[in-house]
Amino acid sequence: MSKTTVCILDDEVIVGDRLQPELEDEGYEVETFTDSSKALERVYEKCFDVVVTDLKMEGLDGMAFLEKVKEHCPQSEVIVITGYATMEVFRESFVKGAYEFIAKPFRLSEIRDAVKKAKKKVRRTNLIGSLKGRTK
Amino acid sequence: MGGLNTFFETIRKFFKRKKPEEIPFHDLFIRFQQIIRGNNAAMEIIADMGSKTSGEFLFDRQYMVDCIKQLEEIIRQNAYTINFMTHNQYLEIFEVVEKLSKELETNLAGKIVIHDRKTIYFLDEIEEHMQDLVGPKAFNLSRIIKYTQANVPKGFVVTISAFRDYMAYNNLFERIAELIVDFQEEKITVESVSDAIRLMILGGDLLPEIRRSILSACKQIVTSGHKVHYYSVRSSAMAEGGDLSFAGLHDSFLNAPFGEVLSNYKKVLASLYNRASLEYRRKHKFLPMEMAMAVLYQEIVNSRVAGVLYTVDPGEPDRPECLLTAVWGLGNVVVEGHAEADTYRVSRYPPHSIIKENIAKKDWMTVPFEMGGGREVPQEGQSQPCLAAHEAAKLVKVSLELEKYFKQPLDVEWSLDHDGKLWILQARPMHIPRPRHHLSSKLPEVLKDYQVLLKNKGDIAYRGVGTGTVWKVKDKDDLSRIPNGAVLVSRFGPPWLAEAIPRASAVVTDIGTATAHMATVARESRVPTLVGTGTATEVLTEGQEVTVDAIRNVIYAGRIPELLHHHLLTKGTFESTYEFRLLRRLLQRIAPLTLTDPEAPNFAIHSCRTLHDVMRFIHEKAIGVLTQYGKNPRSLIQQGGKRLKSDLPIDLMIIDIGGGFTDNVGKGEYVDPHQIASFPMKALWEGLSSPETWSTEPVAVDLKDIMSSLSRTQASEMLGHVMPGINLAVIGADYVNLNLRLGYHISAVDAGRGTTIENNYIFFRFIGGVSDITQRSRRASLLMSILEQVGFKVQLTGDLVIARAIQLTEAQMNHHLCLIGKLLGFTRQLDVLLKSDADIDIFFEKFTKGIMPTTATRQKKEDYI
Repeated sequence: MSKTTVCILDDEVIVGDRLQPELEDEGYEVETFTDSSKALERVYEKCFDVVVTDLKMEGLDGMAFLEKVKEHCPQSEVIVITGYATMEVFRESFVKGAYEFIAKPFRLSEIRDAVKKAKKKVRRTNLIGSLKGRTK
Repeated sequence: MGGLNTFFETIRKFFKRKKPEEIPFHDLFIRFQQIIRGNNAAMEIIADMGSKTSGEFLFDRQYMVDCIKQLEEIIRQNAYTINFMTHNQYLEIFEVVEKLSKELETNLAGKIVIHDRKTIYFLDEIEEHMQDLVGPKAFNLSRIIKYTQANVPKGFVVTISAFRDYMAYNNLFERIAELIVDFQEEKITVESVSDAIRLMILGGDLLPEIRRSILSACKQIVTSGHKVHYYSVRSSAMAEGGDLSFAGLHDSFLNAPFGEVLSNYKKVLASLYNRASLEYRRKHKFLPMEMAMAVLYQEIVNSRVAGVLYTVDPGEPDRPECLLTAVWGLGNVVVEGHAEADTYRVSRYPPHSIIKENIAKKDWMTVPFEMGGGREVPQEGQSQPCLAAHEAAKLVKVSLELEKYFKQPLDVEWSLDHDGKLWILQARPMHIPRPRHHLSSKLPEVLKDYQVLLKNKGDIAYRGVGTGTVWKVKDKDDLSRIPNGAVLVSRFGPPWLAEAIPRASAVVTDIGTATAHMATVARESRVPTLVGTGTATEVLTEGQEVTVDAIRNVIYAGRIPELLHHHLLTKGTFESTYEFRLLRRLLQRIAPLTLTDPEAPNFAIHSCRTLHDVMRFIHEKAIGVLTQYGKNPRSLIQQGGKRLKSDLPIDLMIIDIGGGFTDNVGKGEYVDPHQIASFPMKALWEGLSSPETWSTEPVAVDLKDIMSSLSRTQASEMLGHVMPGINLAVIGADYVNLNLRLGYHISAVDAGRGTTIENNYIFFRFIGGVSDITQRSRRASLLMSILEQVGFKVQLTGDLVIARAIQLTEAQMNHHLCLIGKLLGFTRQLDVLLKSDADIDIFFEKFTKGIMPTTATRQKKEDYI
């Protein structure tokens, strides 16, 4: 089975720096970005299984990024991480298709668990997709 | 007429302002409560920030910005409130808060604020927060001295403050900045800018104070009997913005005679602007003033063999082997790489056997205590190996001990002297690219073979992996018997455990929070720690070998060296990230409490060094306003104060700031003990009034006599209408502040319960007595032993005891307050009886066996979880 791919986008370098080794230890293939337009370019080249994104960023913000990801790669699961966790933001993220919402600062175990759950969901969706394809 | 009236009105108001109207008591209550609430909220934020230093959380700069903003708002509000309560007696608080805010802001902006103006620190004086002051080389050595058993030659560091003073004294900052700008804009070459700046620095004058300090410190660090003393003078350069290694960029001097220690200082400073250093900075985009230089002086070791050890092979980091190079004499020829050296490959696993060796022909050496460029190695030594197998093994063993502290592969400079003693001259992290597909893919396979003993229980207080033999901590007397490298397992994490933590491989507790004192020590000494696991003391058995993975929160049976090695290579230290260092720097100005004794002369607003100090100051002054009313019991009763009805010889006045009494107290002068609703006051009173506290009368005089003598003193004071040091309690539903004069000692208790465990605290202060100072001090020692036994952090000065316990569960709070209550009764005239030091132990036994409330440890577990 190929490795689950994870994209991390946060304009604070520390986020990618610390999450990358953490998630690689779990066996994921991880790419990190600090610039949302660069991350989006990459998403257009390749759909990731799991996308972790911050919300408040220069240029294209996280909410817009989330929309574009879901539009281009509907099977990707998106985890939103933010320091501005309000009810509205929370609601909007889910409306736009986020899988999970984590308020900063968070424990590394929280993000490990969230990515693990997202990965399971992606696997299941893919499996169902391929079964449907076969039965057709 | 109207104009004249207005004029008089103004005059009247003016004089009225001079003698301000008394603020109604009720208003004071409300304000006091506001202060308490503010402090609780602020403590919550501080505790939250503290917990982020465990390494388990991911946070960014914004988090710190937000926390500080909230803290400052609360403290400013409290500053307004206390000024309202005191008719603006403490306006300077605003000044102090502004000053601290500015410093925090500057830190947040990425600049380093150095408060410490001291120019010299001896290596063993350097503390955890001084990295920015002494530079990484000196700082690492100081950590080795403090947290490992390794020998480090005596030495001192001339600080970054001294560097700045030197630059300012010689007007160098601006001139250098101009040249650097030209260099960055490529108007001048690196050669000319480097030469110009170095000449300026070399031509500067040393401040007389620095000159004197260096010379006197150089004399102090000498231990050898040589006529002429020789030193190593080395750079300890520092730069913000990254964990960069400046290896080899700056100058160091070996065998510097006493006569050259001052000129060498300037030479090392000048090397900050070496060509290589300038190029390096241009590459890493440093601003000119972001570099600073501390200078490290150490006595030269009478070195027989010296060299460098890498704790892993940078080419093949997965191999469990260290690389070692060695030469005769001093090791600079290895470091500088200009002579042949013996090389060894030694196993990381005990007994650390040599796996491979390559003996070189060593024809050149530098000899200790000898100036000049070195000399030829005598013929017979040239092809002889420098190191015996047992020496190589010892070197590896010690270096791995250092690595365990630094949590990173290390590059260690070492020296063996003619007596065979091993000296560590330097240790710095090696930068090894993270292996992507090596061990991490094999790890799950490896781990399958190990039994999981505990998983996802409790919190990570310090992230890391440690392995060792389980040692269950029972009491303080065990401390010295704990072997190095043990895994400490404890029901609670009492503050006295701090002493043993630096020697441990890991710490696991059943109960505790990641912000408790013990956890702070674990973080400072970098020992992986899990707290609040609930059952570790039951699940783990004494003497069992375990591996504590405080990264994934798992405890395995057995030692798993592969897991340790994997984390060593992949994780690096989170402490070296910018955000962590920033958080630590900020916390230095926020969290420590340095104003501990409200009666001390330095308990003043201008002594406040941290935001926590300011909070404490405001709190004490607010209490002061309320207790002032206590000086006149009559007026206090008019204002709603109550007298506590009791048979005990304590005339206690109580002020309720809200929720301290049950609803049915009525308007009378007296209140019954059972009408106390305040949680902490109830616990205190339970102890104070319990029959055994008073019947276990240690004084060999009739109890009645003592009671009457007590009452007499108090009665006579009452006649004067003013009761100096009246017994007064200010209580609220979750708060008590009690000032008690019993017999001849004065004690104060301040305790509060917040919304979380982190906010629960008890302060206790005790002083005085009727006997001479020796006997009073004995009583203080007795109090200290008892309080420490249950987990208070105690400061003892003569007969003054200041004890503090924080982060308490409700059950612990209840127990500790009840204990304090009992202690107050039990010890009230005990000083008279403590004729010798041995009596301390006797009365300690007497109290702990007979009177102390059932210890928290013996209570049911459910109370705490």
